[in-house]
Amino acid sequence: MKPFRTRGLVHRATPYLLIVTAFAVQAEARLGPLPVFPMYLGAVLLAAVYLGRADSLLSSVLAAVAILVSSTSLGDGSGQSTTPLLLAAILVVVAVAVHEAVAGIRRGADAVQLKLAEAEAREERLRITVEAAQVGLALIAPSGEWLQVNERLSAILGRSRAELMHMTLREVTAEHDQAAIEEALAMLRSGDILRWESELHQERADGGRVPVEIAIAAVAGHPSGEPVMLLQEMDVSGRKRLEGLRDGLVAVRHVIVSATTWEQAAPQLLSGLCAHLDWDVAQYWTVDGDLQALRLRHAWHRDGSALEDFHNQSRRLSIASGEGLLGRVWQSGVPSAQEDLSGATDYDRAAEALQCGLRAAIAFPVVIAGTVSGVIELLAAEPRQIENDLVTMLSTTGAEIGQFIRRSETAQALRRSETDHRAIFERSPIGIARISSEGELLEANPALLLMTEHDFQSMRSHAWPDLLRAYDQAASRARFAPLLAGISDGKSVQVRAGTGSGKWLWLQLTATSIPDASGRPEHVLVMVEDVTIVREAQDKLGEALESQRSANATLEKLDRTKTEFLSIVSHEFRTALTGIQGFSELIRDGGLEPDEVRAYGGYIFNDADRVNRLIGDMLDLDRMESGRMSIRTGDVDINEVLSDAIARAGSSPTVEFKADLDPRLPIVAGDRDRLVQVVSNLVNNAVKYSPDGGTVTLTSRSEGGFALVSVTDTGVGIPPDEIGHVFERFRRVRSGAAQSIPGTGLGLTIVKQIVEMHGGKIWVESAVGHGSAFHFTLPLAAENVTPLQRRHA
Amino acid sequence: MPDPRASDDKASITVLVADDNDVAQRLCRRVLEKAGYSVLIAADGLQAVEVALAKRPAMILMDVAMPGIDGIEAMRRIKAEIPGQPIVIASAHSMASDRERFLAAGADDILSKPFRLADLVAIVAKLTSRT
Repeated sequence: MKPFRTRGLVHRATPYLLIVTAFAVQAEARLGPLPVFPMYLGAVLLAAVYLGRADSLLSSVLAAVAILVSSTSLGDGSGQSTTPLLLAAILVVVAVAVHEAVAGIRRGADAVQLKLAEAEAREERLRITVEAAQVGLALIAPSGEWLQVNERLSAILGRSRAELMHMTLREVTAEHDQAAIEEALAMLRSGDILRWESELHQERADGGRVPVEIAIAAVAGHPSGEPVMLLQEMDVSGRKRLEGLRDGLVAVRHVIVSATTWEQAAPQLLSGLCAHLDWDVAQYWTVDGDLQALRLRHAWHRDGSALEDFHNQSRRLSIASGEGLLGRVWQSGVPSAQEDLSGATDYDRAAEALQCGLRAAIAFPVVIAGTVSGVIELLAAEPRQIENDLVTMLSTTGAEIGQFIRRSETAQALRRSETDHRAIFERSPIGIARISSEGELLEANPALLLMTEHDFQSMRSHAWPDLLRAYDQAASRARFAPLLAGISDGKSVQVRAGTGSGKWLWLQLTATSIPDASGRPEHVLVMVEDVTIVREAQDKLGEALESQRSANATLEKLDRTKTEFLSIVSHEFRTALTGIQGFSELIRDGGLEPDEVRAYGGYIFNDADRVNRLIGDMLDLDRMESGRMSIRTGDVDINEVLSDAIARAGSSPTVEFKADLDPRLPIVAGDRDRLVQVVSNLVNNAVKYSPDGGTVTLTSRSEGGFALVSVTDTGVGIPPDEIGHVFERFRRVRSGAAQSIPGTGLGLTIVKQIVEMHGGKIWVESAVGHGSAFHFTLPLAAENVTPLQRRHA
Repeated sequence: MPDPRASDDKASITVLVADDNDVAQRLCRRVLEKAGYSVLIAADGLQAVEVALAKRPAMILMDVAMPGIDGIEAMRRIKAEIPGQPIVIASAHSMASDRERFLAAGADDILSKPFRLADLVAIVAKLTSRT
């Protein structure tokens, strides 16, 4: 540093020394400023060129002062005082101008220097970048020779740079991609394209193949003047492998999803695994439960007859648990691999595999519910480095295949079961309806449609809703829940239902609700059976039983009636006999007045007569009721019968008779004696029950083919509680005012019998205290002629 | 028609005959008055109860089949008022079951119709002598 600084000082002092020297010379020689001016100018120029701005200015000012001082102190003439001033000014101006010029020149020179340095640095960086790039980079000649190769590319290709310099791009490219490379170079050479990109395989020195992404671009204006191409390459084997794994898994899943059985899926699965994971052979071995060994079940291989041999040899084998690669996988349940079969000591088919050109193997288990059910093995023609992610992927695949096999087996079982059930549904002789939880008919089996003689549409639209209503009505009678309200016990209900052809059936409905997975009733199955025959038989049986029961009841009632009748009859007879016996005993014992005897004889006669009538009535009734009394049908003029009755009863002292007879009344067909009996019975009753007198009216009318006869009195009437019984035997009205009125109690019963035997009807209207009206009808004779016409005829 | 030969000691004894049949009424009246009793007549059950309670007869001869309330019901009502009142059921209902029914209803004795006159007199005498 020291010498540099000293030299600098010397350097810097030089202009000032020159100025001092010029001043000294001027002073010594007493010269004007003009002669020494070049010296001053030299000093100022020196400072301006070589020194900084300050020095340049200082020296110029100093020189100017020196000129001015010397000229005043040595002043030789008055007219020359302007010259020094001019000279001093020139000096200052020159100093500034020259300095600025010099400084500008210097700056330009510095800039050039800087640019050169930068260019050098850039080149270095580029070199480093190219070398350190993670992509392979190279310059190649248009013919494909390597010109320059970076380290990365040399690593990708597995060859040294020196080695590559003697080779071409074509020579490091896998055989099946060489044509593509040649074509690309040709197009780049011709200028058809400027850039070409592709994915292809290149061959390493060790024989391995590496997948690369390659791009080649024509480079214009290379310093060497020759046309060159820039080549860029990337090793994509990692990405390719991951893609393969991913695609392999996707393919496996795709097959699983689309296939229904393992038998169907297996070939596709094996070929898919090989294609996506780049293996040459795949085999599926199953655990044979009987043999306790693995047997080859499915096999796939890339084209090549040698590989077919390998399968054939494998088929002959039974591999025990723990034996070789497959046996180990079976035993352990985890994937296992043999990266290089040459030299492998623990591979089951090492000799066969090597003979068929196979060098690597990996096997993984197919696991169903935690148990190894089979083993899948993949083999390749070259040694393989087995990556962890492949092992993981194959484990997953094995588990998924296992689940698939299980699912497909379950599904098959379900399908079989479904088929069975379908057959039951279709062929069942019992009608089956599947209905929604809202009651809508979803499905009806053929038996149901046949039974009800409906097609599905009419069944769904109206026959089924009708049936549902009938069910609910019948269920509610039986105190069951309605069909849709949670049936669980399958209770049966029988309903009456019309068929499509209008027949009526008895159907037995049994409902069962089918819950969905959550236990909510999803739909209801209804079994429908035609129980018409059974039901009719039951009904007939029921009717028979019922009629038996009622016959028994009738018999019992008859028995009771008979007992009752006997009791009543014996009471009637004994009552009559009481008078007969008592008074005849009095007469027999004697000691009576003649009047007494006459009176008692009268009582005896009356009661005896009563007994006689009683017997006659009873016999009549019995004959009528047993059907043994026949009616001698003839022409009867009812008006005449009525008139006769009035004439006979006319002797009654208290009652007035009236007749209101229709003269146009046709004759009736009947038994005159019996009809006389009817009328006289009714007339006698009317008189008897009119103890205080009154009017008895007889009327006759023709009405709708019948003669209507009425006997109306104004007597005591019949109480409401007795009016329904007046035609029953021994039901004499005895209450109130009628109590002492005699009678057999059989008269009205006989009257009713006679009227009904003639095909007529009899009924009574009455009000207590106002009287009664008995009406009866008799059918008119077929000829429909009046008695008058008959007589005239 | 009082019998002049009737014993005087029985004239104060009153018998009620309840029967709806006028022939039976006449017969009983004739026979019992001849035997010296005073005879009251009722033609139905209600009348029988009425007369029995009003006149307190020594005994009652009661028919069963009468209009209104029957003899059994009349007997019940009378016995409810006069528990010691002797009542003979005189009925044409003469089956064995009837007899039991009448006795169960509280009748003191039973006279089946038709009856011998001596039986009527004897049964009235038996029941009136007890009182």
